[in-house]
Amino acid sequence: MKERKQTKKSLLGLEWKKQVYLLPGHLIVGAWCLFTIAMLGWIVAASLSTSPEIMRGKALAFETGLHFENYVNAWSANNISVFFANSLLYALCAMCGSILLSAPAAYVLARFVFKGNAIVRSGFITAMSIPQIMIVLPLFSLATQANLTGSKVVLIFIYIGMQVPYTTTFLITFFSNLSRVYEEAAAIDGCPPMKTFWKIMLPLSQPGLVTVGIFNFMGIWNEYFLSLIFASSEKNMSVGPGLKSVLTAMQYTGDWGGLFAAVVIVFLPTLVLFICLSKTIISGITAGGVKG
Amino acid sequence: MKDTKKMIICFLTPALLFFVTIFLYPVCRTIVMSFFEAEGVSDSISTWQFVGLQNYQKLFSTSIFLDSMANMLKIWFFGGLIVMSISLLFAAILTSGVKFKGFYKAVVYIPNIINAVAMSTMWITAVFNKRFGFLHNFFDWLGSDLAKVDYMSGSIKFWTLLVAFCFGSVGYYMLIFMSGIERVSGDIYEAATIDGASKVCQFGRITLPLLRGVMKTCMTFWTIGVVGFFVWSQMWSAPLQSELTTITPFIYMYNVTFGTQGNTERSASLGAAVGVLMALVVLLVFFIINKAVKEDDSEF
Repeated sequence: MKERKQTKKSLLGLEWKKQVYLLPGHLIVGAWCLFTIAMLGWIVAASLSTSPEIMRGKALAFETGLHFENYVNAWSANNISVFFANSLLYALCAMCGSILLSAPAAYVLARFVFKGNAIVRSGFITAMSIPQIMIVLPLFSLATQANLTGSKVVLIFIYIGMQVPYTTTFLITFFSNLSRVYEEAAAIDGCPPMKTFWKIMLPLSQPGLVTVGIFNFMGIWNEYFLSLIFASSEKNMSVGPGLKSVLTAMQYTGDWGGLFAAVVIVFLPTLVLFICLSKTIISGITAGGVKG
Repeated sequence: MKDTKKMIICFLTPALLFFVTIFLYPVCRTIVMSFFEAEGVSDSISTWQFVGLQNYQKLFSTSIFLDSMANMLKIWFFGGLIVMSISLLFAAILTSGVKFKGFYKAVVYIPNIINAVAMSTMWITAVFNKRFGFLHNFFDWLGSDLAKVDYMSGSIKFWTLLVAFCFGSVGYYMLIFMSGIERVSGDIYEAATIDGASKVCQFGRITLPLLRGVMKTCMTFWTIGVVGFFVWSQMWSAPLQSELTTITPFIYMYNVTFGTQGNTERSASLGAAVGVLMALVVLLVFFIINKAVKEDDSEF
């Protein structure tokens, strides 16, 4: 017992020595992280402060107490509630829609050999690297022709389609790693292949679906350009362009506290999602990124 | 067999339909449009006038467009250099066995998950504001004259924009480099350590050469990212729509097709030509990277 304690102690000492040796690394990355946290912290503090306090550089003093009314103002007066609801709608629709479209496609692409399989796969991969400038003009004219400009349907439709190549490519890798045993067993029991997919394979791929779903959600939540083009009025805007219009309005109202509260409201959902699921998200980035 | 065929068709068609309407058809139409003359984005094809390469010629004689290309090139080169070296350094540090690796990784990645408009608002106000930003306070504390500089005007503007953009990009490339480094077998490093190679030497002689393939991926992603450079530039020129110091081809295309303030000329086909040129830039970079960096066949 005593011996074990001692080895543990010496191991701890060794670990300690190693970390001292790695101190320069700690300092560099630590300073970087500190800066990030300080910036986020300052914004949160400033969002609870008043404009005069911020202008005097005393956002952190809270001389007049905490001003939660900034959030109330941002939420209602600055229209953030509308942008927030829109973004939520777009992100959820795109997340579910693209999974419903891509999961079956990814499954057949991963499981069956057929003519055109490779072409479809490389088509999806190419689509991921096409600059948005290449596709936005025809999409705009399509939307005009369909008389859909100024409605939320266009953006939902485009967002779903935008995420299909990435979602499919991600899920192809995922399905290829699933064992074929399940399908074979189901086939022996007389289950038709399509039913096997919906009843067995799709539930089995839940971890992959969750990861790709989170990515799609965050991607759409943070999307800017398409929302700017296709949301012709404020009532259809997502949080990106919406926040920019708040910023522009701020030049005239001078309500800094309200602006920072709006910023916090916009980044909070993705930040909370990231803090809760950072392991899943970080491992998903490299899984999808390097191969894609 | 028949069942399988039916299944393939049923499962693939919906995704393909979306792919065709969102990607394939628009790409083809944009390419065709760039050889025609069309003023409005939604003008029907029958009103287009064939002009050959005139749109492209016009672009290359427009000084704003050339400026925007120069800005993009600067962002690509300087930004790429900064981002790749910092993320490689961070990846090396975080894979060397430091404690709190998970925490560091997550915090460095945070800017990537925050809305770019929110992120740039934070930079513009918290860091670069000339009255209460961090940078002002820092120089003020040092007693330096740099505290009096307005970081959001003149030629400094471009560099503050670049710093803020690069800061946010590091996390993503760091994660890619880390996964590359972690795939290198530990035996190689162990053998090198026994042979007396220092950590720095190991990094230069083992890690870097083995990361060639990963480097290629990163450069490709970086190029795609820089071509799509839009929000940051727009945020840095607010309240204006665009400014010469920070304009990029994407912004120029937006101005020219959707006709924004201070822009008398409106031509959708000119915008299409910008789009095609940008796609060509991406293709060209792919090609050069693939030629220059040989895929390493070494299994690791």
